Amino acid sequence: MKCKKRVGIFFLNIFFILVCLLCLIPVLYALGVSLNSHNDLLSSNFSLLPKNLTLDNYKCVLFEKPFFLWLKNSFTLSAFTVLVSILVAIPGAYALSRMRFKGRRTILKLLILLNAFPAILSMFAIYRILRPLGLLNSFTGLILIYIGTMAIFGLWNIKSYFDTIPKEIEEAGEIDGAGDFQIVWKIILPLARPSIIVTAVMVLIYVWNEYIFAVTFITSSGKYTLAAGLYALQATDYTRNWPVFSAASLLVSIPVLIIFFCIQRYMTSGLTAGGVKE
Amino acid sequence: MYLAPSLALIGIIVIFPILYTGYISLTNMNIYHWFNPEFVGFQNYAKAIFVFDSGFLQALLRTILWTAVNMVLQMVIAYIIAVLLNTEGLRAHKLYKTILMFPWAMPGYVSILLWKMGMFNNEYGLLNQWLGKLGLDGVRWLDGNVSAFLSCTLVNLWLALPFMVMVIDGALQSVDKSYYESATLDGAGFFTKLGKITIPLVRPVIAPAVVITIFTTFKQFDIVYLLTQQQGSKTGADIHTVITYAYEKAFVTNNYGYSAAVSVIIFILLILFSISANKELKEGYR
Repeated sequence: MKCKKRVGIFFLNIFFILVCLLCLIPVLYALGVSLNSHNDLLSSNFSLLPKNLTLDNYKCVLFEKPFFLWLKNSFTLSAFTVLVSILVAIPGAYALSRMRFKGRRTILKLLILLNAFPAILSMFAIYRILRPLGLLNSFTGLILIYIGTMAIFGLWNIKSYFDTIPKEIEEAGEIDGAGDFQIVWKIILPLARPSIIVTAVMVLIYVWNEYIFAVTFITSSGKYTLAAGLYALQATDYTRNWPVFSAASLLVSIPVLIIFFCIQRYMTSGLTAGGVKE
Repeated sequence: MYLAPSLALIGIIVIFPILYTGYISLTNMNIYHWFNPEFVGFQNYAKAIFVFDSGFLQALLRTILWTAVNMVLQMVIAYIIAVLLNTEGLRAHKLYKTILMFPWAMPGYVSILLWKMGMFNNEYGLLNQWLGKLGLDGVRWLDGNVSAFLSCTLVNLWLALPFMVMVIDGALQSVDKSYYESATLDGAGFFTKLGKITIPLVRPVIAPAVVITIFTTFKQFDIVYLLTQQQGSKTGADIHTVITYAYEKAFVTNNYGYSAAVSVIIFILLILFSISANKELKEGYR
């Protein structure tokens, strides 16, 4: 019996190793291609493990393409978007979670329905709004779009978390004579840190990965984000660029991967050791 | 008052475009009537719904098929993987879980483009290289309708499975193990346990995630667009979903009025679906 079980586990391990390989294969292949020198690619005996190890493709991305410029643009855009999104979402979420006013439930329901509208479909309408305002080909316009698109998500996400914080904590603060601002700043925010971090990271990843608005509304390649740059790179004669493209795509993905695996902990850590003990 | 900034932003970027789309949908705005669109009533809607050749109904049916196929495959495969991950005695399950998360963590468009160029490419894609080693002819994966649809499904599964596996895995861990023990004592078989214990207990936990996934699958744009419809590298396969269809009508053929009408129809469908899904969810929790 025990022996049989061991054999089962052995096969299970083999199964999972295969599944994991399957899962990683496009990325591993890209890594292999990016480390190969150009000529190997089209020869028939190309292998995953590079025979002529070279970093040329990475050098090409970093120094021949405006990689650092695009990186800077991506940073600027994501930083502003995240900052404004969070600053706007926190008071809104607080009001929706704590205050009882007319139309509150309607607003909440309406937000969910509005969220069902695919952002891509409003692209043309947004174009017609931004053009007269002179916000085409400008970061301000793009940031405005990103903040607006993520606003409902941010509101709901933070609001749901505020709902789980017991009211008693605030009442204690109120008795001590704290105003709304102080309560939010000193009591709620420290407690809600996990949800704010998760929200911020989701917004960050969205901006970092967004390409279709970026290539539509930004017309000069000097203002491209990394995602838009990468998209443009593959859209123009990609056959020749394939090793360079794989190198670039891996470089672009690394920050997102790091951030993603870092916030795993926050995703699970809820309200650690709450303030109100019963 | 605290809500004002949020609502103002949502008003500009979400509500106004929707209203404006509604307005355009009633006009004949296109490349010839850019500045002077005329009011045409419900003509665009009629064209989308009643003229079968317009392609909208095909796209809608295809999208429904796409959503159904993907959801069924996703649920079944994710369930199998999650159950196997929870097998007792599997020591490395944490390591496997971390690796399986990878496709979720990668930027979506990067993964899709890597699939397109690395795996599906006709000359040097990995899939055709493997076929070549087996002495078979390469397949033009993204050119035919059926093969392109299957390729897109494969990529979607690859992208979406990690999330589903994690959700089901979490749900399975919340099930009390003692139920199974007493069921085994009562002589219940594998399928009885699955039908009577696992599914009823897991269902309410994973229901919201499933609804969200149905939405994202239905609204999927990137995979179909990047794999087959990208401007300058169209593959010839016509596997429009409703979203890529509306996108093409606006930005490729510049038929804005018609595209807007299609968008409004999609929006109405999504609203109806979300209302019915919400009802289901609420009843599930009772």
